[in-house]
Amino acid sequence: MRAPAFFAAAIGTAILIFIVGCLIGNDYLFFAGYTVVQFVVLASAWNILGGYCGYVNFGTAAFFALGAYTSVFFHKTFPLPIPVLLAIAALVSGLVGLGTGYLTLRLRGAFFSIATLALAVVLQTFVVNWDYVGGSRGAYVIRPNSVGVFGFELDYVRYLCLIMLLLAAVAVAIARTIERSKLGYGFATIRDDELAAEASGVPTLKLKLIATTLSGALMGMAGAPFPYYIGYVEPASTFGLPYAVNSIAMPLIGGTTIWFGPLIGSILLGVLTQLATVTISSAVNLLLVGALLVGFVIVAPNGLVGLVQQFLRIASPGRPDVRSTGLVAVAGFGFIVGLFDVVFNLAALLASDVSGEAIATAGLVLAALWLVSSYGLMTIRRGSPLLATVAFGLSILLAVVHIWIDRSLGNVALWGVGVAVAIGAIWFLQRRHVQELYQPRLGQPEVAA
Amino acid sequence: MDLTADLLLNALVSGLLLGGFYAAVTVGISMSFGILDIVNIAHPGFIIVGSYVAYILNARFGLDPVLIGVVALPFFYVLGAATYQTYHVSFERRGQEALRSLAFFFGLLFITEVVLILVFGVDYRYVSAPYIDKSYTFGLIQLPMRMVVPCVMSLLMLVLLQLFLTRTFLGRAIMAVAQDQQALRLMAADPIKIKRIAFAISIATCSLAGAFLIIIQPVEPSIGREYIGRVFAICVLGGLGSLPGTLIGAMLLGIVESFTATLYGPSWAPAISFGLLLLTLAVRPAGLMGR
Repeated sequence: MRAPAFFAAAIGTAILIFIVGCLIGNDYLFFAGYTVVQFVVLASAWNILGGYCGYVNFGTAAFFALGAYTSVFFHKTFPLPIPVLLAIAALVSGLVGLGTGYLTLRLRGAFFSIATLALAVVLQTFVVNWDYVGGSRGAYVIRPNSVGVFGFELDYVRYLCLIMLLLAAVAVAIARTIERSKLGYGFATIRDDELAAEASGVPTLKLKLIATTLSGALMGMAGAPFPYYIGYVEPASTFGLPYAVNSIAMPLIGGTTIWFGPLIGSILLGVLTQLATVTISSAVNLLLVGALLVGFVIVAPNGLVGLVQQFLRIASPGRPDVRSTGLVAVAGFGFIVGLFDVVFNLAALLASDVSGEAIATAGLVLAALWLVSSYGLMTIRRGSPLLATVAFGLSILLAVVHIWIDRSLGNVALWGVGVAVAIGAIWFLQRRHVQELYQPRLGQPEVAA
Repeated sequence: MDLTADLLLNALVSGLLLGGFYAAVTVGISMSFGILDIVNIAHPGFIIVGSYVAYILNARFGLDPVLIGVVALPFFYVLGAATYQTYHVSFERRGQEALRSLAFFFGLLFITEVVLILVFGVDYRYVSAPYIDKSYTFGLIQLPMRMVVPCVMSLLMLVLLQLFLTRTFLGRAIMAVAQDQQALRLMAADPIKIKRIAFAISIATCSLAGAFLIIIQPVEPSIGREYIGRVFAICVLGGLGSLPGTLIGAMLLGIVESFTATLYGPSWAPAISFGLLLLTLAVRPAGLMGR
């Protein structure tokens, strides 16, 4: 798809999601959805510099808060409509990104990363000492109840959600366009070997500055509507480490080299953290993100997309066939269900009595089994089809127990679907051509992780 | 506020004392980042862990914090060795050091912070020792012992480490690893083993630095973040890998911060280190005592 067509498709998808959300009409959906979509923007923005150029930005929170405090400043002096605020925030954050980049990106290595870490602390110091925007006490931003858009009267949170969705569409489209343009190839040369790139005449500093400015501007834009969404901003949380960790973890978990990597990562992790915040606590949720980040950079350094790509290269060189697509589907199902099971069972374990504890522990073990077996399926390790079969078999057992406990229609339907998928997966895993893939063959060494 | 001589003099002295302590905080980074080229962002996290170890043992058994720091050294050494081994197996050997190892250490910093918050909450913790509340006055100068003890011990640690690095065989091997890892291999020495020892020593210093930190000020889990800017600013300012440079950089930052706190108020202090870092990177990236 060409860039303008993709751009239109992305905007169309965003509007479609918004309309579907309005039809469902749940206010919490919008409230939680805003956070998830906001992270789609942040992750895509981070990836432009981090994933494409290979320069780690720890200062997502700084750029984000810069956008947020730009909004607060204008809210106090001269209230402007949100789209205008977005443009101003983009300008301010982009300029700060350019300045930081200019001072530190001339040096190779980690100096830029360290500077961005310190940037967050310094901007926070400035905001704490700046009484006009609330200082360390924070500032209240009273949002209107509703706003008129093209003749429609929209609830304000929904309006912010729509803006964020459109922004996410723009961010993803920009990332994809860059990736396929001359600029993207330039970025990739910097990531792979900066010295060689420079020697071949790639203007590395200029490219790095473009990436930093663009990435910073998008992060600032993500922050601009934030005060209106949350109603009260204070420095400690707006500059908080969670923004930085999330926006690094999401692309690294999804995959950094391609535009849909951050998208997958941010939706997966965003939904997961929203669930964990509601069911467990926000501190445990942060621990989960940190653990996933460390786990992924060690075990699957190229993220989910990298894992699948590597699998497809070996399982079906050329076009993906039924076997490889099926295996990706099985492993993907196992991974996602395993991940969410961890959250739910952890919540159940922390909340419930002794009898519930046993089921929750069993669920946790099963979740771990699921995660391990789907990893094994994707890295083509011997015995992983057997492991996956065992995991799916046990899940049928657990589903029966769950149906036994709660025989309401919704619960039966949910676990019924689970059982059906598990049976299908087990049948598929026993097929001979699937089994053959996991047998050691002459001349084809096992894949190293 | 009128500027009197004794105000400025006291700012200078407390800056020097603070600088001595900063040297202890930074010396680990000087070894891991400066000598081994491992960007260990999680270093302040380990320091906070050191502070909490001192807090627990001090509250439970009433031991002296500095003594606890010395006793805990071997444990931090093992912790450091384990961290290096993970780093080596997962990143160094695969040749994917830059992006992912940074994310790894950042994740580590984050995890230590969150775990400490989950276990101890966000309350400020402090230690008690007989010398903490004492203060001596010499003429115009006031010497609070809670600053003097960490400063003196830090300087002692720095001198010992410098002697170790320049006078002993192992220390010279560590310096050699920084210069040419391949050459070391040709001399039939294992660079990985030497790097592991060096990194473990750098983490071991966190045990003492953490104890000093909690003597100087009450500690809460997220305080480590303030020190990231500081340690890297000092490390870059002093020149990568040079311990005397680290000491000079630390003293400089301590004095500048102390004067800022005296003249403009302590809430501006965190911005100083960043300004200094940017200035150094822009003007003289090699640092004062750079190689």
